[in-house]
Amino acid sequence: MKIKSSSKYLMSAVVAAASGMAMANADVEKNIADSKNWAMQAGDMYNQRYSKLTQINAGNVGKMQVAWTFSTGVLRGHEGSPLVIGDTMYIHSAFPNKVFAVDLNTNKIKWKYEPKQDPAVIPQMCCDTVNRGVAYAEGKVFLQQADSMLVALDAKTGKEVWKTKNGDPKLGAVNTNAPHVFKDKVITGISGGEWGVRGYVAAYDIKTGKQVWKGYSVGPDAEMLIDPAKTTTWMDGKVAPVGPDSSLKTWKGDQWKIGGGTTWGWYSYDKALNAMFYGTGNPSTWNPSQRPGDNKWSMSIWSRDVDTGKVNWVYQMTPFDEWDFDGINEMILADIKVKGKDTKALVHFDRNGFAYTMDRTNGALLVAEKYDPKVNWATHVDMKTGRPQVVAKYSTAQNGPDKNTKGICPAALGSKDQQPASFDPKTGLFYVPTNHVCMDYEPFKVEYTAGQPYVGATLAMFPAPGSHGGMGNYITWDAGNGKIVQSKPEKFSVWSGALNTAGGISCYGTLEGYLKCVDAKDITKELYKFKTPSGIIGNVFTYEFKGKQYIGVYSGIGGWAGIGMAAGLEKDSDGLGAVGGYKELAQYTELGGSLTIFALPGQ
Amino acid sequence: MNMDMMKKLSAFAVFAMAIVSPLAGAADWPPPLKEPLYTVVDGVKVDPDTMQGFRTWRQAACDRCHGPEQQGLVGPSLLESLKQLTYEEFAVTVRDGRLQKGMQSFGTSEAVMKNINNLYAYLKGRSDGAIKRAKVQELGSE
Repeated sequence: MKIKSSSKYLMSAVVAAASGMAMANADVEKNIADSKNWAMQAGDMYNQRYSKLTQINAGNVGKMQVAWTFSTGVLRGHEGSPLVIGDTMYIHSAFPNKVFAVDLNTNKIKWKYEPKQDPAVIPQMCCDTVNRGVAYAEGKVFLQQADSMLVALDAKTGKEVWKTKNGDPKLGAVNTNAPHVFKDKVITGISGGEWGVRGYVAAYDIKTGKQVWKGYSVGPDAEMLIDPAKTTTWMDGKVAPVGPDSSLKTWKGDQWKIGGGTTWGWYSYDKALNAMFYGTGNPSTWNPSQRPGDNKWSMSIWSRDVDTGKVNWVYQMTPFDEWDFDGINEMILADIKVKGKDTKALVHFDRNGFAYTMDRTNGALLVAEKYDPKVNWATHVDMKTGRPQVVAKYSTAQNGPDKNTKGICPAALGSKDQQPASFDPKTGLFYVPTNHVCMDYEPFKVEYTAGQPYVGATLAMFPAPGSHGGMGNYITWDAGNGKIVQSKPEKFSVWSGALNTAGGISCYGTLEGYLKCVDAKDITKELYKFKTPSGIIGNVFTYEFKGKQYIGVYSGIGGWAGIGMAAGLEKDSDGLGAVGGYKELAQYTELGGSLTIFALPGQ
Repeated sequence: MNMDMMKKLSAFAVFAMAIVSPLAGAADWPPPLKEPLYTVVDGVKVDPDTMQGFRTWRQAACDRCHGPEQQGLVGPSLLESLKQLTYEEFAVTVRDGRLQKGMQSFGTSEAVMKNINNLYAYLKGRSDGAIKRAKVQELGSE
């Protein structure tokens, strides 16, 4: 593993900070401000997934029709969404990570980019060969390839402007995440928690591709860009400095060097704080007995200064993970009332089944409540220490290796995985696509070999018992009080990113392949549904072109929820893993890889 | 195969992987199968070598793609595949992978390479239906 001298980092970070100071990314901000565009993967830098467009609304969405479709030519899971800037749509695919620029005037392909990548990375991508989409800024399209190459393309021609290697795929360090442009940097993370990859986020200069800073998730303070005296965390009911060696102290020996904490989710940015927010994933291995300690700062929420990478604050949700509750899900920034008080909040729906509301200015823990009533591995989060109170029966570490711990809710998929939620400022609620799945988990001893899987547990998953029999819910959440407002049952996990609009609708896709739009004021009211060619794990987006509003979504089943689809499963057997509950999907859908765009008829 | 030989071979495999089949010419790889191939009692209790095959299956996380009961997931059902493949074909597939199809190479995994005959015995026992479920225990360990 490459470890560079941290002082060199800090130096270059300081220089970059001085030169980049006045340059908030005006271009991206301008593109976001124009609601006709879909300028970032979440539509904005707050990860709100909310559009001000109103032409399609609660009154007329029922009349929506398919306007046009597009096949990427790749039959694998399609996550993320296209971007729209002006008259051009940028469409991406699963591995081999094609990018198409489509002229919205003619629906013609202006250019196509298809990188050459070593097929050895295909099997290294845990849970299907997905890619979560591109970023756009200042005439460049940024693609984070599976093989870890970060590429800047000329948005007009599709020609490479620069490319840089972000990780070592030979060690399992591959990428599925979308790059994010904040200020003058494109920021990306890394995958490979099941290969013993030590996670990090890295920032690259959008003009040159030169690395500006890189902050690890675990290890020595300097390599994490943590200042023991200034970086804070939540402890003893208050915000306090983390102190020296906050990560190293929580690992046995050198385990941190293969300790995980990968960073493949969606990042957000608050310009006023000049801070980015993201989550770190599970510690490696999945066998907790091999890594005693809290394993900081895996499973944590982070705030970093975008210019220097310096950590403002960090909070660990699941110390000493025993369930693969990989904490990478998006951080949604919203200014809301929390327990009656106006708050600059960060809201996060974690894999562990708790939804966290924090004060994003300082990392104070305000709310931590279950967003699926079936969550059973912990009774609650102690608000003073910030620690979940683990139920012994569901502790895979206490039960030990080679023992099957049964009936843990949620499953490793989490009450929610990467599928991003939306925030609607009109209702003040969060719209959350969720999983309703539980598991049996049996850890076992595993040895590390560079470039080989490093997992260490066998899992079986099934629909949450004693419930509606389905494996998903679409819910609305009051983050100020930590309460479910409404819950709409779904047959399968809702593995699609939500979209809300000022037209009073909330839209999401289902694994059977339906695009659904519901009334934002009453999500049990389904206003529209249409069956797309394949199951949906992509994120719903919207844009306007020549006076007409469009809503779109990828279909193409895959990802963890859809991994059984490729195998032609016919036989039933005892331990079914992810397939058990999802096997029935074969009655609804096959593999796909296409985009469906909707609009109102006429006009 | 002794350990020194194994180390040499896997070091060689790192260089030569995907260019030639580095081990194909090695006279003593794959190691010979045992007689009988496996012993199973009550459908779940197996001899120590077959038990080692099960441990190898877990160590290599084969279930990630082939399913926790070998029934198939992203990868094909090994209950079926082991009815088709010879031992040599099986061994070469595990060593070299089928990259385009998403099957990785285990050529650099010492645990897998040195236990390839035990892994085969375990999976063959599953495919034959003699071993009734993926999770097994060692004979006499209860």
